[in-house]
Amino acid sequence: MTQSLNLENTAIVCDSTCDPPDGFFDRPGLYMVPLKVHFGDETFRDAVDLTYREFFAKLEASEVLPTTSQPTAGEFVAVYEEALKQYEHVFSLHISGEMSGTVRAAQQAAEQFENVYVYDLRTVTSALALGADRLRAHLEAGCTLEEAQAYVRHFIDHSSLMIHAATLEYLRRGGRIGRAASFVGGVFDIKPLIIAQDGTLAGYAKVRGLKKAMAAMERFVEERSKPDDELYFCVIDAINDVEPPLIREMIERLRPNAHYTWLGHVAAVVGTHIGPGTSAFAMIAE
Amino acid sequence: MIVRSAAIGVIQSALVALEAERQFINDLNVYPVPDGDTGTNMALTVRAVVEELEQSSAADIPSVAAAVTKGSLMGARGNSGVILSQIVRGICDVWGQADSLDTVVFKHAVAEGQAAAYRAVKEPVEGTMLTVIREMATAAQAVPDGLGLEHLLAAVEEAGRVAVENTTAQLPALQKAGVVDAGGYGLLVLFRGLAGGIDDLMRGGTFAAGVRLAARAAGEALGGAAAALHARGEQRVEVDEPSELSEYRYCTSFLITGDDVDRDAFSAFLEPLGDSALVVGDDRTVKVHVHVNDPGIVLSAAVRLGSVGDVEINDMHVQTRQRDERLAAPAAATVTAGGDGGAVVVAVVAGDGNRRLFRDLGCHAIVDGGQSMNPSAAQLLTEIEKLGAEEVVVLPNNGNVILTAEQAAGMSALHIAVVPSRSIPAGLAAMVAFDPAGDAVGNARLMQDAIVEVRCAEITHAVRDSELDGVAVSKGQAMGIVDGRLVAATDDIETAFAGVLEEFGRGEPEYITVLTALNGWGTTRESLEAIATRVVPEAEISFHDGGQPLYPILASAE
Repeated sequence: MTQSLNLENTAIVCDSTCDPPDGFFDRPGLYMVPLKVHFGDETFRDAVDLTYREFFAKLEASEVLPTTSQPTAGEFVAVYEEALKQYEHVFSLHISGEMSGTVRAAQQAAEQFENVYVYDLRTVTSALALGADRLRAHLEAGCTLEEAQAYVRHFIDHSSLMIHAATLEYLRRGGRIGRAASFVGGVFDIKPLIIAQDGTLAGYAKVRGLKKAMAAMERFVEERSKPDDELYFCVIDAINDVEPPLIREMIERLRPNAHYTWLGHVAAVVGTHIGPGTSAFAMIAE
Repeated sequence: MIVRSAAIGVIQSALVALEAERQFINDLNVYPVPDGDTGTNMALTVRAVVEELEQSSAADIPSVAAAVTKGSLMGARGNSGVILSQIVRGICDVWGQADSLDTVVFKHAVAEGQAAAYRAVKEPVEGTMLTVIREMATAAQAVPDGLGLEHLLAAVEEAGRVAVENTTAQLPALQKAGVVDAGGYGLLVLFRGLAGGIDDLMRGGTFAAGVRLAARAAGEALGGAAAALHARGEQRVEVDEPSELSEYRYCTSFLITGDDVDRDAFSAFLEPLGDSALVVGDDRTVKVHVHVNDPGIVLSAAVRLGSVGDVEINDMHVQTRQRDERLAAPAAATVTAGGDGGAVVVAVVAGDGNRRLFRDLGCHAIVDGGQSMNPSAAQLLTEIEKLGAEEVVVLPNNGNVILTAEQAAGMSALHIAVVPSRSIPAGLAAMVAFDPAGDAVGNARLMQDAIVEVRCAEITHAVRDSELDGVAVSKGQAMGIVDGRLVAATDDIETAFAGVLEEFGRGEPEYITVLTALNGWGTTRESLEAIATRVVPEAEISFHDGGQPLYPILASAE
């Protein structure tokens, strides 16, 4: 017999690179494991000890570039144990293994539990929170274990993330840039558009100016979805007030059946690598 | 103006396609003489059309069609270029009498293009661009008049593709070399570019044929021999043994301008002297192309008929050996300055600030340039070869350097793509599109597409009293020039700058780049910024210190 999964018996764990909106993890059944950010000797838990505005103020003021570190397997074990006191199943959804070792720590931790399912979502930032949120919606409606697992795989294969980076300086310094490495950014006012692809970040277009950036984003949405798709999307900002509302308006105009979920803020770890002035969006067609 | 700019857009789209495949078409070239210049000749012929149109004031279809015919005749280079000019003439003769370009007109036009090409060639041979244009024209006639132009274009393109594929089997020289006919393939590439441009035009868009065009031409639609060639590593044609040298050594071409030139008589005169003779044009302007062993005899006869110009003599024996060497060079793993297997860029740039911008954008080598200090082909080649890369993109950044760059490319065994950037701002726009991981041909496409969308301007002072585009300019006045046309002649450069921005503003630009060198010109960046905010409030504008000589302001709008 296939067991039915729901919000009463299934929990979802994410790491802090999912850059959630406020209150996201206050809901029952959702757990967050923070990565850490280090400014010299000072260590902060990502998305816990620093708000995103505090973080970027600190980033700007800091002489040294912060470094980041992944959670230990022990920290995952503690969270899984906590979750399994109340829930029978745990879906643990994480930043791409190419960008961080977080998912490997989670996998190591999960080995000692029966019902913890660890996934590398092959993406980063609010795309992860979007995956968690959509899985939660399916659980809320009730589904089998196989259906829930199939949904996560669907999300891995079909979700999209586009980042309009103010500069590639931070990504390059952090070595988190993958195939976008050869992209020029920041000079001659070029703000590159980069996308999650095969678990890393790849260049999509190099553009100068907001209008051209919006046109390229529009093209990306058209390539990655169909006009009548039930599209769920979130918008993300890292100290960029201008672009998020434009992105939301653009997607809602192109896709009448789009569901806007929230505006996420990039927290410290992703912020360290992406830098201020950046905007992004993530989407999944269901 | 609308007809002219639409024609420029469509033909430029064809030029972009040809430029991108230029080297591959050169490599395919084994017939009639394996001199490896078909791609270059066709591209230069089409470029001459674009240049003629840009300088022309033609406003309606008849005069635009006449300008296209004239440009292709005057600029026709090589066997393939001259035959191409005749196809163009035939098409334009029909189009020039129509009031639009629809299916019926296009059917007649392409049929007349075929007829004109066959008329020019004494002994037509199957398996050449003549066969390809004939198959295209035949396919066009089979399309019902009531169908839209897009159906016709698709049918013609498909017929062209099949015809190109079949050339290998039709001509022993092609079969032996395992290639399709260079001129035929070039014609197909050109047609695809045209069709892409017309398609964009019908959609009311700009000519951002871009990625779509690249995908069309990238080989998946090629089929047969050419597809196999494309697939066989980096678009290389291989030679196993030295090519046979042609019976006649010198490819000779020139223009005769006279009152009443008897083309048939001159053609008859040429017949015993050599082969591949083409004598085309009208009574007053005649283009001659012939392969002979003594060009002197031919020229001596020509000067008796009128004034002779644009003389070009190429030693085909040398060209053939160069092609062999180029193709025999081992397809070694590409070594690049960046070390990532992609192409490198060499740019001709004037001004410290501009050089820095090019370097920041990933340009690998910079050759000093400028209005009065253009580099020679040999200089360019030295810089190119210093990089040790096999895939090279050259940005001339000056209309006068484009041909030099083409010559440098022709002299080298490397894969060199010349992106015809006419100004530094255009070159910068091309650099923005540069993909360091891509090869030369792919990058040339991306970069040319980027340039097509850009309008360029320069401001300088007049060195003498003159009249330009109908406007009187006195010595010392500031001139604002947009895309080669004078838009402002004023006493100070601020007013000229405002004039340039107003002209830019007509195209509703999204992004304007201004490269300054204001020292001693009596204005400041702040004043210019204030002018820009006032004149083009909608556009995003960025200022950079370019440091170029002679021009206090260079600008582009996209």
